[in-house]
Amino acid sequence: MFGPSEIQSFFRGYAAVLEDEEVRAISRRYFIANGFDMTLTTLGVVLGAYLSGVGSGLTVVKVAFGAGVGLTTSAVWSVWEIERAEKRSEIRSLENAMLTDLSETRLRRRRRRGQVINALASGLGPVVGITPALWYLFGLPILDATIASAVWALCVLFVFGVYMSRVSNHSWLISGIRMALAGVVVAFINLVLPGGG
Amino acid sequence: MSTVRRLVLDMMKPHELTIVDIADAVADIGPGVNGVNAVLIETDRQVDNVKLTVEGDDVDFQAVETRITDMGGTIHSIDEVVCGDRTIDESKTPQDSL
Repeated sequence: MFGPSEIQSFFRGYAAVLEDEEVRAISRRYFIANGFDMTLTTLGVVLGAYLSGVGSGLTVVKVAFGAGVGLTTSAVWSVWEIERAEKRSEIRSLENAMLTDLSETRLRRRRRRGQVINALASGLGPVVGITPALWYLFGLPILDATIASAVWALCVLFVFGVYMSRVSNHSWLISGIRMALAGVVVAFINLVLPGGG
Repeated sequence: MSTVRRLVLDMMKPHELTIVDIADAVADIGPGVNGVNAVLIETDRQVDNVKLTVEGDDVDFQAVETRITDMGGTIHSIDEVVCGDRTIDESKTPQDSL
């Protein structure tokens, strides 16, 4: 059973790993990459649904959530497995250099915690990316909900860009526009595809 | 058994563990440890060799070893031990100058 000291040690362990710049950088990458994927997917779903004449907002939400469940599972699962393999390889390399077993050490526990944080951050990206579809739950007319959803998706992409500009110290406006441009490209392709527009 | 007052260890650690981490963790073992000195002896591609000196009123070697191993370090050798009621330094002998 977990006592107060174990719980305290559990949170202290994760807090220490969260301060590790390498863990933060990897988590950031996965969060943005998967958030970007899901936002564009949601944008494609809402525009495709409108252009195909889907009349029920709830249907759009169900389709977007279906895609969201798939992408979130993929984001968590793939990162868990990728990071597990990477971190095992790092430990094996260290074990070879140290000529000792490191399986029951802080180094191993630290990597396991990093792996958990990386996978959670990766899964959080699609959760943010699905938010544009929520506009269909407010009872707006389907065209209004589609426009609101598309604008919201562009805003989410813009915010991802601004967030990255803080990491790279580049202009937040240019970085935001560069990310939002991907949403414009998705919208354009949806409109010019056969059956669109 | 008499109390251990000084331990000098030759140990190895990965780069990601700093000598500050090691010294801090060993100094935190308990009231038997009064002070720790960690000196970087040699650095390699992935690992470092460190000379660790632990002094106190009752240094528990097992606890020091467990703490170092738990952190991911290994002890290569015990290079000096001082036991007893007071700390005795190594005596010079004529052979030392040879």
